[in-house]
Amino acid sequence: MVDLAHYAPLYAEGLLTALAMLILFAGLFMKSKSMMGYVSLVGLALSLFLVLTAKTGSIFFFDTVSVDPLSQFFKATFIVVSLLVVIASLSRYKESAGGDEFYALLLLATVGMMVVSSSIDLITLFVGFELASLSTYALAAFDKSRRNLEAAMKYFIFGSASSALMLFGFSLLYGMTGTTRISEIATTLTANLGPASLIALIFVIAGFAFKMALVPFHMWAPDTYEGAPSLVSALLAAGSKKMGFAAAFRVIFVAMVALRVEWYLAFAILAAITMTLGNIVAIWQNNVRRIFAYSSVAQAGYIAIAFVVVGAAGTLPNSAYVAQTGIAGGLLLILGHALMKTGAFIATAVVAYMVLREGKTDPDDISSYAGLSKRAPITAFCLLIFMFALAGIPPTAGYIGKFVLFGSAINAGLVWLAVLAIINSAISLYYYLRIIMYMYLRPATGPKIVEPKGYVAALVLTTIGVIWIGVNPQPFIDYAMQAAAVLLPH
Amino acid sequence: MIPVELYILLSSVMFTLGLYGLVTQRNGIKLMMCIELLLNSANINLVAFSANQPNANGQVFALFSIALAAAEAGVGFAILISLYRLYGTIDLDNINALRW
Repeated sequence: MVDLAHYAPLYAEGLLTALAMLILFAGLFMKSKSMMGYVSLVGLALSLFLVLTAKTGSIFFFDTVSVDPLSQFFKATFIVVSLLVVIASLSRYKESAGGDEFYALLLLATVGMMVVSSSIDLITLFVGFELASLSTYALAAFDKSRRNLEAAMKYFIFGSASSALMLFGFSLLYGMTGTTRISEIATTLTANLGPASLIALIFVIAGFAFKMALVPFHMWAPDTYEGAPSLVSALLAAGSKKMGFAAAFRVIFVAMVALRVEWYLAFAILAAITMTLGNIVAIWQNNVRRIFAYSSVAQAGYIAIAFVVVGAAGTLPNSAYVAQTGIAGGLLLILGHALMKTGAFIATAVVAYMVLREGKTDPDDISSYAGLSKRAPITAFCLLIFMFALAGIPPTAGYIGKFVLFGSAINAGLVWLAVLAIINSAISLYYYLRIIMYMYLRPATGPKIVEPKGYVAALVLTTIGVIWIGVNPQPFIDYAMQAAAVLLPH
Repeated sequence: MIPVELYILLSSVMFTLGLYGLVTQRNGIKLMMCIELLLNSANINLVAFSANQPNANGQVFALFSIALAAAEAGVGFAILISLYRLYGTIDLDNINALRW
């Protein structure tokens, strides 16, 4: 006898899975697919409510799925991103034949990410990871243009190679410890760490680093973000990439505990190279989506500082507090970056819509943004806010995340890393301001357009979110601190 | 009984071959085969390690990963077929418009 009430904290996942199946099935019979978007919208809003009100602190399915503040934080982020993408795609996939498949894949990708953020066992982690990856491979090719397919192919090859690396690492971890529970692996590895466990951990970290787009595993990201449909790029940069972080927070912290202090320096160098390379390369780009892709690589470098802080905090007298603020800063930056990047990619979708209607071909070139403030004022204003937020200017979500994270790095004695990160934020201002200059100071090259309602709704909601977190950060900081406490040894 | 070291040797050889192929080959189908090699080398590990363990977690994991590899191949070949329809080739050297 299954006691359904027992599984109440997992209703959100169940709802979204059932909805995805229902949409696929109903799509076989229904002529008009315009309903599907609204159904997904309602489903996602409902599951956001379920996630935020779920009772935390319980473990399900033979100790493999845990519902705790950390998982709920990530789940809320993923659902918000999908919600915004669905609102925007109400304008995009209105009458197209495959609308039902688009929404079903999007919902399944969201479920996959949610499973990853909840899993405390390698098997569930891998299954969730693959569910999200497979759905996004198909989404990246969705419009079936030449660019889409090339982007999807590159994403597929890199993505499946990285899951294979990860799986190989998992198999070695299992061989060494005899268990697939992450917490038991941590205890066994801490007791005896040999060279073989090191190799296993390196495989696992490499697998995650592909998804997080850390240098040197970032090569696929710019190509994929540029070539995939704009709305799917939003999902990839804001959702799928954050899933890599969700998995890394669960597993790499285990590694940091096992590896102890000596190895945090390797992560520090990785983070430093990632943010610097991302920002420097972004300066030379003329394609706006590539600029966003490299800025996203740079942001991954900032977020990776959280791993370093946890490693470096090990010897300090107030190590628990420093580590907690480090993780909380990482989480806040993840939430902020998810919102900002979703918004930024939806704005590129508006520009693409505008330019392609005029019969031009290269919609993402920066020249298309000339005079955008005259042609599409709402989009231009929202993009302006996102650019400032990405650069970390107060009062926005980007500023709060960076403030908490860099502050914890200084507390952990990593002053050089914090200084480097701040210098990098200054460099990034150059290419963000360049886009703003094109939008506001260059003369317009065409007439004013009517911005599609779905895009505008999504952009305005995202802008409100980005500013709301910046103006009223305390509840979000509290939530992130609570989530961070889950990862620390009690 | 075959010692577990031999299994690890086999799986490492398979893994290295897969990785080597992934770097050197440019044909879409060959790349898919290399990815299968990578995934299956991990499966060999899982099953071999599981033989010495009191629990069957490794074998369960291998079953899951076989199912996922099949799904992955499905998506991969779907993308390859669409590529072939547009480009008339699956040689990835000819499909390279996106670059910095």
